[in-house]
Amino acid sequence: MNGMLHLWLIALFPLAGFAINGMIGRRMPRAAVSAIALLATFVPLALVTNIALHFSQLTLPYVEKFATPWIQTSAFHAEFAFSLDQLTLIMLGVVTGVGFLIHVYSVSYMADEDGYWRFFAYLNLFMFFMSVLVLAENFLLMFVGWEGVGLASYLLIGFYYTRKSAADAGKKAFIVNRIGDFGFLLAMFLLVAHFRSLSFASVFSQISSHPEWQGGFLTAIALFLVLGAAGKSAQIPLYVWLPDAMEGPTPVSALIHEATMVTAGIYMIVRVHMIFDRSPLALSVVAIIGAATALFAATIGVVQTDIKRVLAYSTVSQLGYMFLGCGVAAYSATIFHLVTHAFFKGLLFLAAGSVIHALGGEQDLRQMGGLRRATPITFWTMTAGVFAIAGFFPFAGFFSKDAILHEAFRSPNGGFLLWFIGIFTAFLTSFYMFRLWYLAFFGRSRAVAHTSSQAHAHAPHESSWVMLAPLVILALLSVVGGWMGWPEALRGSDWFGHFLAPALNNAAPSLNSAQGEGASGFILSQRVVVETSPHLERVLSGLAVLIAALGWFAADTFYRRSPELPIRLATAFSGPRSILVNKYWIDEIYHAVIVRPLLLTSRFVLGGAVEGAVVQGSGRAFSGAANGLGAVLRRIQSGNIRSYAGWLAFGAAAMLLLSYFGFGTGTVSNWGTHFKIW
Amino acid sequence: MTGTSYRELLLLALPQTVVVLAGLIALALDLSLFRNSTNRVRFSAGAAIACAGSLAAGCCILLSQTHGAIQTFQNGMLLSNPLTHLIQIALLLLAVLTILLSIDSTFTDHIGEYILLILLATAGMMFLVSTEDLLLIFVSLELLSLCLYVLTGFNKHSVHSAEAALKYFLFGGMSAAFLLFGFSYLYGLSGSTNLVRIAAATEGSVMDPLLMVAIVMTVTGFGFKVAAVPFHLWSPDAYEGAPAPAAAFIASASKVASFFIFAQVMVLGFAGTAGNAGWNVRAPGWAPLVAVVAALSLVLGNVAALAQKSVKRLLAYSAIAHAGYMLLAIVSHTQQSIAALLYYVLTYALTTIGAFGVVAVVEHQTGGDKLSDFAGLSRRAPLPSMCMLVFLLSLAGIPPLAGFFGKFYLFSAALAGTTASLSLLWLVILAVAMSAVSLYYYLQVLKRIYVEQPPADAAPIQISILSQIVLCLIAAIIILLGCAPNLLLRLIQNALNAIIA
Amino acid sequence: MVPIAYYLVLSALLFSIGAGAFLIKRNIITVFMSIELMLNAVNLSFVAFAYQWHAIRGQIFVFFVMVVAAAEAAVGLAIIIAVYRTRNTLNVDQIDLMKL
Repeated sequence: MNGMLHLWLIALFPLAGFAINGMIGRRMPRAAVSAIALLATFVPLALVTNIALHFSQLTLPYVEKFATPWIQTSAFHAEFAFSLDQLTLIMLGVVTGVGFLIHVYSVSYMADEDGYWRFFAYLNLFMFFMSVLVLAENFLLMFVGWEGVGLASYLLIGFYYTRKSAADAGKKAFIVNRIGDFGFLLAMFLLVAHFRSLSFASVFSQISSHPEWQGGFLTAIALFLVLGAAGKSAQIPLYVWLPDAMEGPTPVSALIHEATMVTAGIYMIVRVHMIFDRSPLALSVVAIIGAATALFAATIGVVQTDIKRVLAYSTVSQLGYMFLGCGVAAYSATIFHLVTHAFFKGLLFLAAGSVIHALGGEQDLRQMGGLRRATPITFWTMTAGVFAIAGFFPFAGFFSKDAILHEAFRSPNGGFLLWFIGIFTAFLTSFYMFRLWYLAFFGRSRAVAHTSSQAHAHAPHESSWVMLAPLVILALLSVVGGWMGWPEALRGSDWFGHFLAPALNNAAPSLNSAQGEGASGFILSQRVVVETSPHLERVLSGLAVLIAALGWFAADTFYRRSPELPIRLATAFSGPRSILVNKYWIDEIYHAVIVRPLLLTSRFVLGGAVEGAVVQGSGRAFSGAANGLGAVLRRIQSGNIRSYAGWLAFGAAAMLLLSYFGFGTGTVSNWGTHFKIW
Repeated sequence: MTGTSYRELLLLALPQTVVVLAGLIALALDLSLFRNSTNRVRFSAGAAIACAGSLAAGCCILLSQTHGAIQTFQNGMLLSNPLTHLIQIALLLLAVLTILLSIDSTFTDHIGEYILLILLATAGMMFLVSTEDLLLIFVSLELLSLCLYVLTGFNKHSVHSAEAALKYFLFGGMSAAFLLFGFSYLYGLSGSTNLVRIAAATEGSVMDPLLMVAIVMTVTGFGFKVAAVPFHLWSPDAYEGAPAPAAAFIASASKVASFFIFAQVMVLGFAGTAGNAGWNVRAPGWAPLVAVVAALSLVLGNVAALAQKSVKRLLAYSAIAHAGYMLLAIVSHTQQSIAALLYYVLTYALTTIGAFGVVAVVEHQTGGDKLSDFAGLSRRAPLPSMCMLVFLLSLAGIPPLAGFFGKFYLFSAALAGTTASLSLLWLVILAVAMSAVSLYYYLQVLKRIYVEQPPADAAPIQISILSQIVLCLIAAIIILLGCAPNLLLRLIQNALNAIIA
Repeated sequence: MVPIAYYLVLSALLFSIGAGAFLIKRNIITVFMSIELMLNAVNLSFVAFAYQWHAIRGQIFVFFVMVVAAAEAAVGLAIIIAVYRTRNTLNVDQIDLMKL
């Protein structure tokens, strides 16, 4: 094949789909809208497949750029350039593959909704930005994609904009993401200041040619990047948007909020892992955040009653695993988990959507039950997903979760505590997933016949094959997808790890070697580094399966054999339980500590307490204060020109004082010298 | 003393002369020929003359560029170099856009006067950016300001308009006096009114009390013009009370000229007394003062905008916040940051004109500019709503729009230009944090436009084809400059290189 | 010879009186007069400096300032009349319809 891969086509097709559907989609028949949208995602998939097949013939790194530079200044310059390596290829595979399947699914799922054309336009827009993010050759272009997926996510979460909760959720997502972007931006400025460039190749080559650069400013850059990643990948403390994002349609939750956008943060960390490798502090922070989030979200997921919320918290928890993987410098394992997670979580969400559809819109687990017979294909595919996420051998989740936990155990940056948190979370994961499984599919049907306006007012039925086909494909992938990373300890070939290794081969050796060289983790490295061995790996894997089975057993007990047990436990432990049900009141805390003070300050500032009348006299202000803040505001609030002038004079005087006395040296004594001249 | 060649002066000032002539012709024709026509016809005719005049002036500028790149009259009294040409053409463009967007307005019958005032203000600004002499700075600044005071009060049917004009005028008069006071001390310290000579004479003596007073007064005077805290108090009232096209003009063109001259006076005139605003290397001078002003503007502008109910007032507070960002570029006075400043202020001016244009449309229809008047705008007027989306997202700094690159470039230049210890990092962090806050109130407006239902009795919004074309054109330019910022950046950098070399 | 310092002090004093009057007085016309007072104070300092430097430029500046002040007076009075017509008051404290 010739040299040009035309990577830009991968991004162009979805953009064209967005443009066409966005402009004239309103007037087109639904078949045309979906045809365009599907084409716009199928062609990139075909292109990626083609590239993958011919991958061995490529010379790497492969970079494709536009002829004219994008920004050219003496401070830095940036190009419109796409690059391709193994990591990008894998991400593209996930994005285009899972993306296409979900587009197919949506054709049927959204068939009865208004704004069909809008949905597909936004979905294509998202695919465009995500492709740009993954293909970007420099930080700036990646940031464009980064912001763009945030925008698309906002549009899609708030798709049912007539519902206030949906509109609020969209706004929350955008704003929390923006806080994360603040971190990303600061990191970029620091990069420009230190490296005079934003291109990955340039930054990485500068870092590798200076092995003495450790910590310091690299830590600062890394920590800011962590802030950005935490926002996008819903980690503590910026995870609050993801559960609310379930207000969007289920395909959106599947595509954006589990497979692709939320993994952008993970991808970014792996892409710039060279910076993180030079900063053990940053790696420790990442590991701690990841472990804490994984545990935290899993505890909340245990008591959720909305099927989508359970999956949302599960996603946050699994993303925590991926963060943990990055934190222990197990980048290959992390990406592996990212891929398998895309398979089984996508499957779970789509299956949940099928369940919701079957019940005519019901999302509450307490109103479900007995669907096993009514929706067999959905049941079997979801079963595959549940077993995969719980980590049973030989499903996909087993291999990937295991790889991360193994690294967490033996890496100098990890430790027994992190591994234990991970394994305990695995227990919880298994528990609540099987809980969901039992509540939805087993037992007698608790579905209440409701007189909703939905069209499916009759008995639960299986979904159409258009929705089921993606489910089956994803289920197959959840079963066999892990086999590409079959670890060598269990007599596999670890194709995945070897494939990805060249892209990650500049991982600093000091962190993955058995010696650990002292430059290791911040808090957690007090223990002796454990030598790696196949024996250890097998023991840990066995332990993981055992824990997963324990979780299954617990769920079985609670929700199938003795359904009265959860109720008794709930009343017995109502205190802790209410903490969990209220999600640790984090949203309320954020609202009280951040949102309300900001709005209050705004009113306070406007109310004239700052603008207050210098001239009108403080007497009135003080007497007003006695009547409460409102009265004070009304009294001081002035549109008065004299107070404006007072502020101007005050400002000038303040500046004079600042410049005379603010710098320490006595200026006033110079008066004399000045007038001596004349 | 060299003799004064009036021919040379006329050639240098030809663009401004053409603009003034166009204004006078527009007034004359409006008062005579079109006396009895409808307002729309009068406005269209006046606008046509104004556009023709601006086009002619633009051609004069471009032609003079080929004759000789850099010329100066009376040692800096009047300049002509690639940078002034660039800014003057931008100002002409902004004036034309303002006039085009005000063709539909019904707030006044004095159309010839209105157009003349805008063109006179433009001429004032064109003089303002092409001088290095205190005298001409003051005179042209006053020409600009007087025209703007009158434009603010142009709506005779509105109480708010007269009040806004009064506040703007009184406050502006006081600031002009402060500025002049500073200028007098500068003159006294150096014996000259030329910025370069002043810099030479005052170099190194930053702790001289007279110089300090001069610096403080100058910053005060210019701070008023660019609406920086605590000299910003006039701007919410002026923006709210003035008719929307006039507010658009104040917010855009006058900002461009004011920031340009502020930067010029600070960087050229106070070259040796800059000091340093870094957190670890504080040295006395004007940079720390401007840094404090910038920080206050950033915080106050963004926080106060959060609670606004009137969109014009919201835009006014956001203008204060943007002034904070731009002052950051002046604090780190390197060539890169001045280039970033110019890029930012030009794109900001375009965006603002567009935003106010949309506000004018809504105001025309509903009589008000409250957030509630924007409810459901996307269904009543989809094209202006889409343009407003572009404008507000650009102001918020979302890629890939021009506002994002302006901010990015500005912050990078601020960090890169300083010494290795990144001393301005505190200000940059504050600026980025505040820009995250700003997204909230821009989204508020967008939420009203796109998410809320229009009131049941809402009549369909009438908006002329011309206004729609102009708004779409501005939005397209913003998107274009966002995807290819080099188009404008290159021009600015070449101009800066030409005058520094 | 009168040392220049005296002129400067006088000018500063006049300027402060003008600024003070701006802040204290309630009648719009008086406030406006105080602006004129400030501008004239600056004129004084310009003339003083021009004398000190034996240059004429400062005095030319004064002429321009006077012209500008006159123009400003015209514009200002027109605005004041516009305000008076609508609000029927010359009390600057009552012109406060637009609050922050």
